Amino acid sequence: MAIIELRDVSFAYKDSTVLALSHVNFSVERGEFVGVIGPTGAGKSTLCWTIVGVVPQILRGEFSGAVFVNGLAANETPVARLAQIVGLVQQDAEAQLLMTDIEKEITFPLENLCLPREEIDKRLNYVLDLVGLRENRLRHPFYLSGGQKQRVAVAAVLAMEPEILILDEATSELDPVGAEEIHDLAGSLKKQGKTIIMVEHNIDELARHADRIVVIDHGEILRDGPTREVLSDVDFLCGLGIYPPQVTQVAYHLSRQYGVQFEQFPLNVEEGEELFGKMLRA
Amino acid sequence: MSVDDIVLKTEELYYRYPTRSDYALINVNLDIRKGEFVAIIGQNGSGKTTLIKHFNGLLKPTRGRVIVDGKDTRGLPTSELARSVGYVFQNPDHQIFAETVKDEIDFGPKNLGFPPERIEQARQRVLAEMGLQGLEEEMPFQLSRGQRQRLAVASVLAMEPVILIVDEPTTGQDWRESISLMELIYQLNKKGHTCVVTTHNMNLVSLFARRVIVMWRSEVYLDGTTQEVFAQVDQILRAGIKPPEVYELARRLLPDVRLDRPIIPEDLAELLVKEREKIHR
Repeated sequence: MAIIELRDVSFAYKDSTVLALSHVNFSVERGEFVGVIGPTGAGKSTLCWTIVGVVPQILRGEFSGAVFVNGLAANETPVARLAQIVGLVQQDAEAQLLMTDIEKEITFPLENLCLPREEIDKRLNYVLDLVGLRENRLRHPFYLSGGQKQRVAVAAVLAMEPEILILDEATSELDPVGAEEIHDLAGSLKKQGKTIIMVEHNIDELARHADRIVVIDHGEILRDGPTREVLSDVDFLCGLGIYPPQVTQVAYHLSRQYGVQFEQFPLNVEEGEELFGKMLRA
Repeated sequence: MSVDDIVLKTEELYYRYPTRSDYALINVNLDIRKGEFVAIIGQNGSGKTTLIKHFNGLLKPTRGRVIVDGKDTRGLPTSELARSVGYVFQNPDHQIFAETVKDEIDFGPKNLGFPPERIEQARQRVLAEMGLQGLEEEMPFQLSRGQRQRLAVASVLAMEPVILIVDEPTTGQDWRESISLMELIYQLNKKGHTCVVTTHNMNLVSLFARRVIVMWRSEVYLDGTTQEVFAQVDQILRAGIKPPEVYELARRLLPDVRLDRPIIPEDLAELLVKEREKIHR
């Protein structure tokens, strides 16, 4: 059974006549890594919020359809209960951080769950190592770089041991290397069996780990398929104002303008080097 | 080009935040000339925002000098520097506040004490330049997003700045929105405005900038044409920057080709086809 399932979900925020989500059918299998892309205002964050129950329980409006997360109806299950299954990290990590040092930031929610001390320590050490912040554990989040803050936010969410991790534009404030770190972390969590949903403008990075890409605009799912298939449709993506990976665009121009035949378009530099190298030698 | 063309100069610029013991800028020496389109890039914490804040006088050097449009910033209030340096916000809605388009555009020039005829002239000029004629009495928030963006740029231009600074045009915006802002800036650059942009989006840098300055550990690490800087893949990775994929591909597949201008995917496709013809000839 799918770990997340949306059936014919529509939603309009209170006092708005526009559908933020329109008849969305979407499911995610356990252990999948799904990338979500689309222009600003497409409904990407609203989609994330329906999965964590914030829409429609806290952000209210006209809701129809059904959302199931691990078999629970997300529009009725208390948000705090869902938070133990799904962790959400948003764009502005700073807004999420509230304690005076990293260690407290991570242990605070665990203490609220009344977990035993040994369990809390075990989880704390595990996530600190995972995000590479063990040495900074007693620092105030204020003194961390943007990338480190974002990693604290991820660590705090992971300490809750959610099965599903949602990253909603969690890398948009980060420099290229910081963004790469978060993507690689998400990739390694997938390998450990977590289910990952990543909303992202940085398509180059997303292409490296996502199994599947969903394209949303005006609250509707326009495409939903394997990463390579969706990203190879360069015309479609550019029409939506989305910039596909440059290496994929190079293959597109070679085939479109110069008649070069490819069995499939490359998604990263390594694949591009191999394919274009073959073309040069052919 | 003569020294008179230099609109922005830093001389042995050092800066230390009052609460810190280490320097945020170390011995920065830069000459930026009239009409240049410069991107300043670097990791979070590399010093690029600190540097930019010296250009509009929000920060003053701890040591060394910053000369903007011939004036040493140390003796000048930020309001005076606003005459020379226009700062374009990422999101037009963070900047726009007036009730009408006219008031929005006139605000800066009025504060700078321009006489009424000059305010009128400046307004007419920027309305035409930004394609906003006939909208003087409209409420800014009823304009389309594209129009609001042009209004935000227009109100900066009305102060007749010599240098335009755009700080991270991608935050909170998608690719299309970022591109439309950069296109506007690019048009102004073609008319002679000097443009300085900071961004983490290297694809954007490679589309628009002609010169790239890489900051690393509070120092200027690389400074050259866009293609020169991005071709130094190993050095640039060390500074925490990933060059656009086309440069990495060019380095691996076309090691003997010297790039004479910045490249985008179309260009690399063309270069690859040329290389194939050369090999098979």
